[in-house]
Amino acid sequence: MIIGVIVLIAVNIILLSVFNRRYISYYRPGRIAISLIAPFQKASTSSIRFVRDIWRHYFFMVNVAKENDNYKKALNKAFENNIQLKELTLSNARLRNLLDFKRTITDQVLSAQVIGKDPSPWFKTVIVDKGKNDGIETGMAVVVPKGIAGQVTDVSANYSKVLLIIDHNSSVDALVQNDRARGIIKGGAAGQCLFKYVLRKHDIELGDIVVSSGLDGVFPKGLAVGYVSAIVKPKSGIFQEVAVTPYVDFEKLEEVLIVMNPKKKEFEPQQ
Amino acid sequence: MTYCLHILICLCLIVIQTTVMPYMPLFERFYDLLSPFVIYLSIFRSVRESMVIIFIFGFFMDIISGGPFGLYITAYIWLFIGVRWAITFLHVRDNLLLPFVVAAGVLMENAIFIGITAMFERSSRVSEAMVSTIIVQVLWAIFTGPLFLMFFNYSHRRWDRWNKEIFAKKD
Repeated sequence: MIIGVIVLIAVNIILLSVFNRRYISYYRPGRIAISLIAPFQKASTSSIRFVRDIWRHYFFMVNVAKENDNYKKALNKAFENNIQLKELTLSNARLRNLLDFKRTITDQVLSAQVIGKDPSPWFKTVIVDKGKNDGIETGMAVVVPKGIAGQVTDVSANYSKVLLIIDHNSSVDALVQNDRARGIIKGGAAGQCLFKYVLRKHDIELGDIVVSSGLDGVFPKGLAVGYVSAIVKPKSGIFQEVAVTPYVDFEKLEEVLIVMNPKKKEFEPQQ
Repeated sequence: MTYCLHILICLCLIVIQTTVMPYMPLFERFYDLLSPFVIYLSIFRSVRESMVIIFIFGFFMDIISGGPFGLYITAYIWLFIGVRWAITFLHVRDNLLLPFVVAAGVLMENAIFIGITAMFERSSRVSEAMVSTIIVQVLWAIFTGPLFLMFFNYSHRRWDRWNKEIFAKKD
């Protein structure tokens, strides 16, 4: 019996390794599974939001709630503009002598609603109500006015799965806005992110803004990721440990914007 | 017909877990709702009937979750095997033991999750937040797990009785 259990565990681990490398949901059964579950999730989420909106907007101080919503939208817009302006000013200063200016941010975005969250507290993904039929493709960046939210990892006909930046499988190439120190943003514990591979020589301060560098080819340059909330400079080693608190409140994520990249030119094979 | 009930229950549990509970701060760190159902299947239902449901809904959970593919199927199968093994020498149908069986099941599922995640990502560490999440889940399981098992058992008995009545009328 013990040998049987050991063999079973070995087979289990091998299968997991194989499936982990060749992600199954790109194939038909995965898409069908999402298409089967997602409509129920959408119906449930819509019902919850409908009831909640009735409560908020009709029974509970109608005008105040509406005004508050408008202020929130305006604040988000101002926040986004502020970050963008800061980033533009710094870029301008550095690139003053260069004549060739390249636009790095694509403005074409598609809004989507979050209809379901990850069933496990150990992984951070959400299901959104836009899919292949809306032009969504795997690898597209997902943002909100406050900053980066995640990346599309799986697409079915009408729904997509988004890997949030707070998941430990997520990576975003980023830099500190003032210092231009570069590193990789990875998901950490308790909704925080880790800013990895930042060289010790950089003088990063608490509260510094971290923005996307655009070098990963997924996220547009200059989008806010979060602010530096903890720094540990070890006495030895090349890198320092930096914790970043994301600007996006992932617990309250309801609507997101998917950045629709323009179609890349494919290289023709040489004959 | 029994499979219809299983599918209905699992679907409801998944929808509640992914859409309703994340918006309730009290249930933010609640355990996986399908784990008491897997425990129920292993205690009260046949192996053939249980395995079909475990594979189907393990697959569904793997698709909607961000973890490595096969994680939920693995967790549910080992949970099923563990409970089946436990009932050979423990009288787990006893109401006094049920809370601890569910808590042990939740603990086992979390151990599998953390173990497999650590296997694929060597830099991952057990943090304070992880430990507190597991403790909260186990406490929830002790207090609410038996209620779920009793509800599943009750709904199955009602379903079987209802089916019998319908077929008796037809005859």
